[in-house]
Amino acid sequence: MDWLGPSMFAGALVLLSLGYPVAFSLGGVAIVFGLIGVALNVFDPVLMTAMPQRIFGIMNNFTLLAIPYFIFMGAMLQKSGIAENLLETMGQVFGRVRGGLAIAVITVGALLAATTGVVAATVVTMGLISLPTMLRYGYNKDLSAGVIAASGTLGQIIPPSIVLVVLADQLGISVGDLFIGSIIPGLLMAGAFITHVVVIAMIRPDLVPPLPDELLAVKGLALLTKIVRVMIPPLLLILLVLGSIFFGVATPTEAGALGAAGATILALCNRQLSWSTLGEVCDRTLRTTSMVMFILIGSTAFSLVFRGLRGDQFIFNTLTQVPGGKAGFLLVSMLTIFVLGFFISFFEIAFIVVPLFAPIAEQLYGFGGLVWYGVIIGANMQTSFLTPPFGFALFYLRGVAPPEVTTGNIYRGVVPFILLQLVILLLIILFPALVNYLPSISN
Amino acid sequence: MNRLLTLSRWIDQINIGIGRLAGWLVLVMMGVGCWNVIGRYVGQAVGRNLSSNALIETQWYLFSVVFLLGAAYTLGVNGHVRVDVFQSRWRGRRKALANLVGTLLFLLPFSGLMLFFSWKWVVASWRIWETSPDPGGLPRYPIKSLILVSFVTLLLQGISEAIKNLAVLTGDRPAEPALSDRSNPTEGEP
Repeated sequence: MDWLGPSMFAGALVLLSLGYPVAFSLGGVAIVFGLIGVALNVFDPVLMTAMPQRIFGIMNNFTLLAIPYFIFMGAMLQKSGIAENLLETMGQVFGRVRGGLAIAVITVGALLAATTGVVAATVVTMGLISLPTMLRYGYNKDLSAGVIAASGTLGQIIPPSIVLVVLADQLGISVGDLFIGSIIPGLLMAGAFITHVVVIAMIRPDLVPPLPDELLAVKGLALLTKIVRVMIPPLLLILLVLGSIFFGVATPTEAGALGAAGATILALCNRQLSWSTLGEVCDRTLRTTSMVMFILIGSTAFSLVFRGLRGDQFIFNTLTQVPGGKAGFLLVSMLTIFVLGFFISFFEIAFIVVPLFAPIAEQLYGFGGLVWYGVIIGANMQTSFLTPPFGFALFYLRGVAPPEVTTGNIYRGVVPFILLQLVILLLIILFPALVNYLPSISN
Repeated sequence: MNRLLTLSRWIDQINIGIGRLAGWLVLVMMGVGCWNVIGRYVGQAVGRNLSSNALIETQWYLFSVVFLLGAAYTLGVNGHVRVDVFQSRWRGRRKALANLVGTLLFLLPFSGLMLFFSWKWVVASWRIWETSPDPGGLPRYPIKSLILVSFVTLLLQGISEAIKNLAVLTGDRPAEPALSDRSNPTEGEP
């Protein structure tokens, strides 16, 4: 009955494509295959009585408790308009030079995504705010679409994203270490994107014109005040959150709680906080948290049955027989995640696939190598979400882009950014110190 | 069919109410979280413990309440992420059919069996008036019971969704407007 485990995995992928909410599809698949297992006398239903205890374990998991806080912080920055102001001011600062607007989008994307870690939210916000502006002032369509989709996905790997929180939990490593380890790779990505725009500005200046003078009405002291008032506070907030984790002052969960409160206070000081905004932020936090946690509950049921059918043993045996040792496993596991990233979202990968890979990764790279492995997973999925024709970020951008931007524009636009991400990914793989240096001095 | 739709509306209202209430608890949770951090540091400075096991447990109790009670509401407002590679191209009746099948095949059996596998475990906790093993901790039986409450609300919301989808199929309810969920910016997806 060895085939039942693997076929459960394949069955899940097929049934998920029915389009029913993932959390319950996974739970349902677990029930269906559990029953098949019972019928074939290879699955003991008593295993399922472990479920309430597992759910209880999820409830009092201190790491996962960080999730609602970071969602709240990101939602607050977006719904209160702080993020929008940041983008506008950045545009005025950088807009004077060729390519400046694109650089502003990348910078804000990295910052915003860092706090939300939710690609959809970032791509949609930036697509709605910056894409029309970029097009109006003569930016090339391909480039504009590419910049926005790419900056939106940056958030996977830039701390403090909830993606990293979940990954750390599933890999059994410290969230703080993963946050700190992904700082350099994240900055490298953002840096590579900016460099790309600068190079374009030099060789094809017509693609990235500067903004017209009349638009840059705010100058001198007025601009400086605006920078201090609009740009510095959110930057400071993010730095404080990261800094307190880096220097071990607070755990990521504690830093998240303070960050959420900080964002609220910021919105209050800017007079951008109303009761209805606050309600919306709470509502958004509730929905996203429920969604994530129930995917985890569904995955738990799935894993319980999968293990009961000895599917994990099958995967473990198959993967440890992959030729090429460390490099071979890395290639196979990353290709699997990359392809799965087309069809299922981050959380399903993190909750179902990553736990299967984690013990082998630990065996091959040692416990110390898991942070490095986690950052590679993050960077890999980020690339997957950007890759045509299935990348998630592309769908979101398509949904909010004006009609004159075609799907072809978006696909062509992301190609250079995918290549850049692959280069950085390769650098991280070849030079683990890029990941491991900061955690080593932080500890 | 009209009576069923009335039932569906009732269920929706109840779960929306629960969801709204749980939403505001997010704020309380933030407050308690901050108090626990600040309390730890200020407490160290003044030499008094300002936080407590009860407060630390309150934080994850609130977290649990938020997502356990929020799940059915989130289902009602279509906030649970889907793999809609195909569904985003489907419209009206076909979409309703896919959702009906999903509810009957996945959600209802899953919720039902989770209740079946959990209730003894919850009863066991009530029987001994189980409390936290840590000094000053909170009683455990209420929060454990919440798992049952959560799956009951999900079961109800599943029934409500099934009724609505059935009504679309029988023509008693207009099909949903042709909107691709995937480009719907309001729903959280990584």
